[in-house]
Amino acid sequence: MADGKSETPTEKETPKPKPRPILRLVIFLISQSFLVSVICCTAGVLALLLLPVLAKNTYISENALMPGSASPMISNQEVLDGNKLVEDLTNLNSKYLDGGIESQRIIAKYMSDLGAEVSYHKFHPQSNRFHPLHLFSDPDSRAQENFSCSSYGINTIGIIRAPHGDGKEAIVLATPYNSLKSDLGESFSVGIAFSVFSLLSQVTWLAKDIIWIVADSRYGEYAPVAAWLKDYHVPKFSSLSSGNVEMCHDGKNLYELKGKSITGDFRRAGTMAAALVLKVSDRTEELEDTVSIYAEASNGQMPNLDLINIVYYLAAHHRQGFRVKVERLWSLLDCSLLKVLGTIIEFVGEVARSLNPEWKFGIPATDYVEGTATLASSLYSQALGVPTGPHGAFRDYQVDAITLEFSPKFTSDMKVRHNDFFLRGGRLIEGVIRSVNNLLEKFHQSFFLYLLTSPNKFVSVGVYMIAFALVIAPLPMIAASLYISANNSNSSLKQDKSTLSPYPVADEHSNTVRSWRWLNAAKVVFIIHLWGAVVSLLPYFICQIPDLTSTTSFLIWVLLSVLSLQVLYSILASPFPHANASQPQEGDWALLKSVTISALFIGLGLMSVINFATAEIGALLLVPTCLLARPLRLDLRARSLRSFSRVICNLVLGHIAFPPAAFLVVKGVFSGFGSANVGDFWNWVESLWAWNSATYLYISMVHLPCWVLCIYILIHTC
Amino acid sequence: MEETHQRKKKKVASFWSWVVASIIFRLILIYFPKNLNLAARPEVSTPLTSLRRLAEGFWLKQSSMSPYAGSMYHGSPLLLSLLGPLTVKRIEGQPNHLFFSLLSVIADVCSAMLIRATGKKLQMAYSYSLKSLGLLTQLGSSEILSSGDIAALVYLWNPFTIVTCVGLSTSPIENLAVILCLFGACSRLVPLAAFGWVISTHLSLYPAILIIPVVFLLGYGPDAPPRKLFMKEKYSKNLDESPSEGLMQPKLPIGFSWRPVIYFVFWALLWSVYVLVLCSISLKQYGGLQEMFTSTYGFILTVEDLSPNIGALWYFFAEVFDFFRNFFLIVFHVNILVMILPLAIRLNHRPCFLAFVYIAISSMLKSYPSVGDSALYLGLLGLFVNQLADMQFSFFLFCGYVGVSLLSPVMHNLWIWRGTGNANFYFATATVYACLQTILVVESVSAMLNHDRKLRKLRVAKPEDAKS
Repeated sequence: MADGKSETPTEKETPKPKPRPILRLVIFLISQSFLVSVICCTAGVLALLLLPVLAKNTYISENALMPGSASPMISNQEVLDGNKLVEDLTNLNSKYLDGGIESQRIIAKYMSDLGAEVSYHKFHPQSNRFHPLHLFSDPDSRAQENFSCSSYGINTIGIIRAPHGDGKEAIVLATPYNSLKSDLGESFSVGIAFSVFSLLSQVTWLAKDIIWIVADSRYGEYAPVAAWLKDYHVPKFSSLSSGNVEMCHDGKNLYELKGKSITGDFRRAGTMAAALVLKVSDRTEELEDTVSIYAEASNGQMPNLDLINIVYYLAAHHRQGFRVKVERLWSLLDCSLLKVLGTIIEFVGEVARSLNPEWKFGIPATDYVEGTATLASSLYSQALGVPTGPHGAFRDYQVDAITLEFSPKFTSDMKVRHNDFFLRGGRLIEGVIRSVNNLLEKFHQSFFLYLLTSPNKFVSVGVYMIAFALVIAPLPMIAASLYISANNSNSSLKQDKSTLSPYPVADEHSNTVRSWRWLNAAKVVFIIHLWGAVVSLLPYFICQIPDLTSTTSFLIWVLLSVLSLQVLYSILASPFPHANASQPQEGDWALLKSVTISALFIGLGLMSVINFATAEIGALLLVPTCLLARPLRLDLRARSLRSFSRVICNLVLGHIAFPPAAFLVVKGVFSGFGSANVGDFWNWVESLWAWNSATYLYISMVHLPCWVLCIYILIHTC
Repeated sequence: MEETHQRKKKKVASFWSWVVASIIFRLILIYFPKNLNLAARPEVSTPLTSLRRLAEGFWLKQSSMSPYAGSMYHGSPLLLSLLGPLTVKRIEGQPNHLFFSLLSVIADVCSAMLIRATGKKLQMAYSYSLKSLGLLTQLGSSEILSSGDIAALVYLWNPFTIVTCVGLSTSPIENLAVILCLFGACSRLVPLAAFGWVISTHLSLYPAILIIPVVFLLGYGPDAPPRKLFMKEKYSKNLDESPSEGLMQPKLPIGFSWRPVIYFVFWALLWSVYVLVLCSISLKQYGGLQEMFTSTYGFILTVEDLSPNIGALWYFFAEVFDFFRNFFLIVFHVNILVMILPLAIRLNHRPCFLAFVYIAISSMLKSYPSVGDSALYLGLLGLFVNQLADMQFSFFLFCGYVGVSLLSPVMHNLWIWRGTGNANFYFATATVYACLQTILVVESVSAMLNHDRKLRKLRVAKPEDAKS
């Protein structure tokens, strides 16, 4: 019916039976596709800009959490204990340069004095090498790499068994601590965690085990937590792989470490209900004590919103004196365009309220700008697909986790303020743990898919998907209208010819092939996407070459890509023998564009499920590029103002949509064009695949091929 | 003449090079089973076709227990004796199930060759019947597309087929049995057709409905234009007796020949008795045939395993109240049976196409569908390339299949691994998939009927041409 019924009635002399209403609607939309697509795209961009206005206040969805229902129990005694540990650690640090093992031992001793089960976990940092097939397999099934014995870290883990629990569930506290070169902030975080831990070792209400992991962060904060989680969830049965880590300790150290209740065995508690990563930053530029929440895990996954809600609720409503922050893009705060937009929205909101006091949708301009900055940062870090902290490792095992970064306003020499800070931080964490302790099931009530516009405001999936859906809605419509017009123009051409040609047979034949003519275009699109897959695999081989700067690697990558495009095209692009593609036809580029747009639609739709933010940003770049693409030759021939402006749009978009160009432009806008360098793109991409980000796959297998196809359409000879 | 000969040669060479390329591609994929982890995908291996379950059944039998103990294995005991040893054999340093993978590659290639042979038979018969109607010149396309080659290549290069072949499931063997049955019926090898039918029914029950197309194939011969046209031919011949058309007197059997059908019934009985005897021998110490029927056919019909797959039944029966369960079981299974009769009446002149429609419908409504079933009917679809040239929505269907087959693993990942989605996400793709299959069936049938109409129009128009 796509090509049969949708022919407009003007073209048909014979009156046809009216199609069903839904089909008529579709036909109408397709015939008006240009107008509809312009409206849809504008509406999509507007909806995206309106998201901060549409954000709702967060609320605690799970009743069982009951945050703040009990008064905090942490007292000065625990705080003093914590302070003592901090002092011991700092003393140790100033005493030994190689305090690595010693500080571990001190923490372990403190833990075991509380009656906790203490164990050490040795790990080797996973080198983040790119392996193409890892992107598709789950983390469990990855093969072990060969380790060198020279580098390993030791995590210290303490477990308190819950008096009321059955050992089936656990809550995790994690503090990154670099035992080789620790700063005061890390010691403080260990101190706060210890205060809470010592309280929890005494309380009777605990229903879930508490695991405290002091992660050895000498190889980064993420790696130790990830290694520990992997060993926690994937028991090693083969003696080879487990012996691998244990075999290469240098005898002396580990025996020194072991005490009466301290073992090197791996100890486990139950499944993890939630995890909190504590950090204390050294920066003191804040005017008041703040807690920053970092929530983005790999591939734009977020923890359940309830976890963030508890923290916000406890910090804001229970007078712990912390200001809760989430990350924002600072550079956007001074953006004058946003300020203007914010004022307009405020004005519209006021007008609406004066008309009807029930309508409350305006927000103050400053709120709008801040909301947009937060939203932009949220989108950006989700789109990168790189976790913003060690909490990202937990999300890979379906554990909800956030990083809480405390920024005290004191300078480190004020002793009294320390205690106060410890007390309030401890209370906050105690409250969160107590809430999670109440939880009967996994976190499931609240949202998993959301964007934050401020710590207490969020945009849920149902709202932000509208913006995205509006942007990509024109794609299937334009594809359908192009497909139909290409087929129609072709058949009318044929009819003209057939009146002249004496051989109706040939006409009959081409007519039968006509409805499958898209196969040729589909083949071209398929080849280009196949090339995209090849391009995504190339860095694996480039990485094998030693001693390359990022710029040369990038250049090699580009060279190899172009070469492989040539090779693939020459091998596979021979037209099908039966299709009469030997003479290029008028509708060819339209069909090609139609198939390209369909491929883009599928790709963007898929990506929006995997990682919304990437899909949204990609759609904003690619949808106009693909929709406007039209052979330059046709436009130049037309010599009208409209075609001329389209040529300019095409050229600009064609340059911007190229991924490295887009990256450099963005980087140049934010940090000045002087520092921008093509090697940066290579580094950026390297970080993407090191974190197994789906964005990398998107760029190489959807974005890049579609861009190439657009360029191909632009230079199409017709 | 020379030129066409050469072109034909070239075409044949390119066909074989594509076949070889597909085999090499499979062999490459076989060496990455761990990384691709296809055997664990619900789209590829169902409780009926999973090789892991077969290995489990084999171990149970080796340790002298019933292979059906513990509701792990639900396949045929014959497969157990044939394929079981392959699951145990291992070569150091090679992928675990290398032998079985090689066997499924061979099965795939055999299926493709059989499809090609079937296509050639069909095309020969079809062009013969067109010639006898004098319509061959009007439909000149038949000499350009050799449908058998296209269908074979579509079958071999279909990603679904490749995934099933590499993904350690027994679907390639089941598909081979079905194709064997069709090939036997097309080339009038009655024992072979009966063998294919019995084995495929034994392995997966649903091909039982293929008995109708097979009987038509044996009774009427392969696909032809509607019989009415031939009758008109006779009628018009009486009016103006021109000697040139007298040579083209259609010799096609207008009536139904019972002889091969009776042979077929006889052979089918023979083969089924043979298979049953073999099964009972192999299950003598355990539950006997009774247990085999309950845990294979019973398992299929009562939809016991509700683990997610690409069909719609698991979701439905997970939701339905227990006291309605039997009712809905009947409703769902009758759903397939209801469509058999009308389709058989409407399409009785095209038995092969009828078989395709039956297979597509049953793969849509069966209790444990996998992409292997789609691979089968998409391969068969290629056989009717000439007749379905005007099929509508082809591009839409293509995009839909691509989209769904990519979206389904993502949704599964979202539900099972990330925990951010739920069962509805995955079921949504299953629904879309079912809709796509419905559209495919509807559109292909209507395209086929349109083709018949076109033939009739040409047939009616032709005598006038001759007069003028």
